Amino acid sequence: MKRRVIAAGIAMTLGLTATACGGDDGSDSGDKADGKGKTLTVWIMEGTNPDARPFFKEAGKAFEKKTGAKIHVEYQQWATAQKKFTTAIEGGADQVPDVAEVGTTWVPQFAETGALVDVTDDVKKSGLGNDLVEGLKDAGTLDGKQYGMPWYAGVRSIVYRKDVFEKHKLKAPTTWKELQSAAKTLKDKEPGMIPFPVAGGAEMFAAPFIWGAGGELATEQGGTWKSGINSPEAVKGIEFYTGLATKDKVSPAKVNTWTEKEVGDAWGKGEVAMSVNGNWTPKAIVEANPDLKGKLGAVPIPGQTGGMSKSFLGGSYLSTFDTDKKDLAWEFVKMLTTGDFAAKWATETNYFPGQNSELKKIEAKKDPLVEPFAKQMLEAGATVPKTKAYGEIQASKVIPGMVQSILTGKSSVQEAADKAAEDMDAIFAKDK
Amino acid sequence: MKDTLVEDGPKVTEVRPPATRPEHEAALRKKKLVGLTRPWLLLAPSLLVLAGLLLWPLIQVGKLSLQDYAVKFGGGVGTYTGFDHYTDLLGSELLWKTVLPNTAFFAIACVGLTVALGTLVALLLNRLGPTWRLICSIAILAAWAMPAVTGTYVWIWLFQPQDGMVSQIAGSIGLIDPETTNWFTERGPFYAIATLNVVHHGFPFVAITVLAGLMTIPKELYEAGELDGANAWQRFWKITVPTILPVFLVVTILSTIWDFKVFTQIYLMPGGDGANEEVYNLGVFSYIQAFAKNDYGTGAAAAVLLTLLLLAITIVYIRTLFRQGEEDL
Repeated sequence: MKRRVIAAGIAMTLGLTATACGGDDGSDSGDKADGKGKTLTVWIMEGTNPDARPFFKEAGKAFEKKTGAKIHVEYQQWATAQKKFTTAIEGGADQVPDVAEVGTTWVPQFAETGALVDVTDDVKKSGLGNDLVEGLKDAGTLDGKQYGMPWYAGVRSIVYRKDVFEKHKLKAPTTWKELQSAAKTLKDKEPGMIPFPVAGGAEMFAAPFIWGAGGELATEQGGTWKSGINSPEAVKGIEFYTGLATKDKVSPAKVNTWTEKEVGDAWGKGEVAMSVNGNWTPKAIVEANPDLKGKLGAVPIPGQTGGMSKSFLGGSYLSTFDTDKKDLAWEFVKMLTTGDFAAKWATETNYFPGQNSELKKIEAKKDPLVEPFAKQMLEAGATVPKTKAYGEIQASKVIPGMVQSILTGKSSVQEAADKAAEDMDAIFAKDK
Repeated sequence: MKDTLVEDGPKVTEVRPPATRPEHEAALRKKKLVGLTRPWLLLAPSLLVLAGLLLWPLIQVGKLSLQDYAVKFGGGVGTYTGFDHYTDLLGSELLWKTVLPNTAFFAIACVGLTVALGTLVALLLNRLGPTWRLICSIAILAAWAMPAVTGTYVWIWLFQPQDGMVSQIAGSIGLIDPETTNWFTERGPFYAIATLNVVHHGFPFVAITVLAGLMTIPKELYEAGELDGANAWQRFWKITVPTILPVFLVVTILSTIWDFKVFTQIYLMPGGDGANEEVYNLGVFSYIQAFAKNDYGTGAAAAVLLTLLLLAITIVYIRTLFRQGEEDL
């Protein structure tokens, strides 16, 4: 009796959920060619563009004019979106959006589940392939299959306070040594400021120093990934980066647990003299603190003895999901990632567009707060290992954990790097 | 205990007259059937809801803990791996040296402090006049009503290294060097702050519940005690505590369950989201396994382990509670 009652309960609950899910999306089905009466569900990340709503209103109107189909935009939070996507993918075609903004580091995970549409042929047919920024195109291409169109990209370089540097007759650093000595001078002369935050929670602050010293996060050999984070080169880079805090004391203890967000907040308060920063941040900093207008400068992250250290080239794709409206969805993706809408999005967000032709236009403007980043992106951009496992390594904070344990003195650089390598290899092995 | 209650019902109706006629027998049987099914029928709606909301997910988590699960478009694929996740989990040094001690010691500290503080506040409220009791009750209810996320951010803000109020005070009286102290990176201070947060959030419930208990104790007991020369300390331990012991047991058991499965308050703290392995507790550990490493099996196994742990503690408590009840009779 009891068992039967429970079974009935389960059946009922399932029935309810199933109907609830089915009810979400009533307006699909119909023939493919015409978009009339159809609505595309679009997921866009909140916060990239402060004026996203007017932008999509305009884009929606243009799209309706072109195809007759409407778009329905749902805004997602960066912090929770990955889980939301995973849940939707598990739910299948009824639950996923038709078009979504997908962070480049998520592409391997989503593609592996079979949820994303391989658009390689569509890209070729439309003749868009040759104009895409190489590093960004590469980030969303797995085994020769491209899963969406690069939409926008960002890169981190060094941002510094021009006024403070001029006051103490300092020059923007071009080598690691110069960076170190500038930070040490600032520590003596500007006791109220953080000369160079070594933020323990910011993976992408540490990565340029690993790459700059000739190390790699992980390397692939014959289809198997292996961590490279404890190689002598990588350790040298980590040692320099963390040494800025542990030996040179140019980053106080409070920064040990900071993420990029806290570094940004501190910039807004005028507390930071120089740091690794994204190309989208200078405008936000000036918005938070108008006094800093005209006082910010930027340079690419210097190489060990000159040149540039590579920096993470991250960004977003607009990808189509495998729903019955995928052809219509591709039309929308094409509209947004090319021409006017792509350019407008880049201007409004302070990010870089995913097309060489649009990027060149921006470079030609010679904005001193844009050009160094563009140079970094075109000449010294790097991607993280393209595997689902690396997404998991990032989510479980392996590199921030390593940096923090060095900063707090709990482990030596080598010990921490060995531990991180072990953790990374365990995750690589699990996903084999 | 639920079973004994249900079984008691039909027994009462079993007054069977020496009937011989078959119709009478049929009527009796029908009556018995009704007597047997009626309680279940009445319970059915709530059982359905419970089965859907609790039992079904519980079974799923149990199943998941025996599988390697991969998310796939339109429904994932699980491969059964037997008890591998449990053996891996129980063999891991991280679990025994970090996760379990953190969880257990943190919970014990929180429960002890919550119940102690809650009781003290209840005693205070019990002595206050109506106006002040109302004012104080509203004040502590505000602490209770504060969402865990908001509360956690306020505590983080207070203890923010170098800039937070507590850090500045501690720095100005020379207790710490604000430039080199970050409380969030060390296990002890990290959990001390988390304890403050959880106790602050949890004590109002204890205070209100204990106050309700206190108000049922007849004044005469205290008067008699006073006449016999018992001081306040003795009156508390000899009169108050034994009289409302069941109330204490209930608040302790609930606090234990809540404090063992604390997640938000740890996860939101700087370094609590996985970067600092030293501060993992079972909740965070399970979350990181399942949702960061996408290792749903191990995450589920950790969740099952937490459930079993809580179940064991709860059984001990409930037995004590009922033994207490029997002794009183």
